[in-house]
Amino acid sequence: MKLSALKPVALVLSRELALTALLLLGVSLVVFVILFLAPGDPFSVLLEGQMPSHEARAGVREALGIPTTWYGQYFAWLGNLLRGNFGTSIRTGLPVFGEIVRVGASTLYLTLGSMLVTLLIAVPIALHASVRGATPFNRPFTLLAYVVSALPVFWLGYVAIYLVSRQLGVFPLVSQASAPTERAWLYSLLPICVLGLGNGTVSEVVRYVREELSRVMAEDYIRTARAKGASVWRHAFREGLLIPMTEIVASKIPFILGGAVIVEQVFNWPGMGRMAWQAAQDRDFPAIMGIAMVAATLVRTGSLLQRVVYVAVNPRASQQQRGGGWAE
Amino acid sequence: MKRYTQITDASRPASDVSPWKSAGTLDLACVGYGLIVVVAVLVSYVLGVFAWLPYDPEHISFGLLNAPPGSAGHLLGTDFLGRDILSRLIVATQAYFLPGLVAIAISLVAGTALGALAGYRGGGVEVLATYFNNLVDSFPRLVLILLVIAVFRVDIYYIMIIVGVTGVPVVASLVAGKIAFLRQKHFIEAAHVLGLPAHVIVLKHILWYHCAPLLVIRATIGMGEVILIETSLSYLGFGVQEPTPSWGNMVQAGANYFFQGKFWPSTAPALAILFTILGFHLLGDGLNGILEDRSGK
Repeated sequence: MKLSALKPVALVLSRELALTALLLLGVSLVVFVILFLAPGDPFSVLLEGQMPSHEARAGVREALGIPTTWYGQYFAWLGNLLRGNFGTSIRTGLPVFGEIVRVGASTLYLTLGSMLVTLLIAVPIALHASVRGATPFNRPFTLLAYVVSALPVFWLGYVAIYLVSRQLGVFPLVSQASAPTERAWLYSLLPICVLGLGNGTVSEVVRYVREELSRVMAEDYIRTARAKGASVWRHAFREGLLIPMTEIVASKIPFILGGAVIVEQVFNWPGMGRMAWQAAQDRDFPAIMGIAMVAATLVRTGSLLQRVVYVAVNPRASQQQRGGGWAE
Repeated sequence: MKRYTQITDASRPASDVSPWKSAGTLDLACVGYGLIVVVAVLVSYVLGVFAWLPYDPEHISFGLLNAPPGSAGHLLGTDFLGRDILSRLIVATQAYFLPGLVAIAISLVAGTALGALAGYRGGGVEVLATYFNNLVDSFPRLVLILLVIAVFRVDIYYIMIIVGVTGVPVVASLVAGKIAFLRQKHFIEAAHVLGLPAHVIVLKHILWYHCAPLLVIRATIGMGEVILIETSLSYLGFGVQEPTPSWGNMVQAGANYFFQGKFWPSTAPALAILFTILGFHLLGDGLNGILEDRSGK
């Protein structure tokens, strides 16, 4: 890539970065408004049993240096977030941010793995369907993709646990002390496979990739490539497979993260989803607030990466306006 | 969330043949199965409301634990407390039916309004709608719902308001896309030339005559999503609480027995979820194939 070609790409990327920042600002505002509207406030606890008059409240506020206006509070809160101060968890008393970082890795492992599983299942079906058309062979697979998408993921988890632990004799590590049985690593793959199958996106990935690939295969340049004996795959891969795959995966990150909440619950997987569940159970505001912020950041990062791939693969895109935005 | 792109194919032949006559067999089969599911859900809801049930769903009988389907008058057997599974499945439709309708109504009404504004006016409203769209897409729905549950400790109707609001952008983008497509058409141009006011064109000629199928399709798929969310929440313990049945908490309650090899108390509600969500999805997709992208086939 020549340097002159790099400049418009950089321009697009800086615009995307600005857009991401703007959206994350909106995300923080939404979270703040929800927290702001929460019933009750900590001052009632501080002033318990003191007949809290209006003056007393104002005095405590001032003494603690808390802004009185809502936007003052918002910016103070946002400043803390930006410095990585998400507050301390009400349940554990530990800083929320450190806790999220600690459990976030296992959630990333789970979600990235399950995305791979989803693609490994969906893309071959889509490929076959778009290259061969609807044949008696691939129609059952398409139907199967629908059924899998409608399966409740928690029940699928039970079935998987039962099959693997009862029938194959593979057991989870109950504690660090127990000796790792053979094939125990298989068990850690289980939630990944279950989430990959059951996150409800398989049928949509199949359909989207199939439609995009069929559209590209019908283009003139593919016909030309075929006519001159060039590799059709080399010509169709970028636009027909790489871009649709990144697009659909990026747009499904929220679903996979949502599914992770349930799968982590089923498998007792120590991740962000389980932490979110626990926080909602205990009304642990700082923890669930932090998770919502981190999850939204992950979603936006995924979508930013998708744009990077898109622009890198297709530099022409940098000359066009971002396609209306509705297409996302 | 499903998104269908509007086919902007101007050369689509304007045929007077009813779309139902030219529909593919597969689409018709999908719609047929979906309609059976819709009727089953409606009938279950009515039966549940009037308590016309084979057994009391909360009646515990220790003499008949984990009875297999078809035994002693219990058509679908009994669960680990001897409660009739069929009755519980029927009553459990109440957990999502009305809340789901609330969520769908919110997302359809607000989404149509926003989409019509964005699609017809364009400009600033469209930019704003796009921003709102991306903003809502940034949150995993379940995490947002858990946040709201943690802060407000709310019941299912408030949760469904959130589901409805987060469903707004999908509807808005569909309607806006449809309007952007229709705006270039001759009949809209003719309406302009005739001097019809904008609200008549949008409400009558665009929304009423051309967006109804779209909204019906969206509503069916929305119902599938609502059932998924409600069952997930009650599985996690935030929705309907035992002993009141919901398909989600029935699966959860049967978990211990599942691992002992007594699959049925968990599996029956799981199958109910599977067949119902599948029905709504296939109904939506079948209708979409028949009514919306006819030229695609």
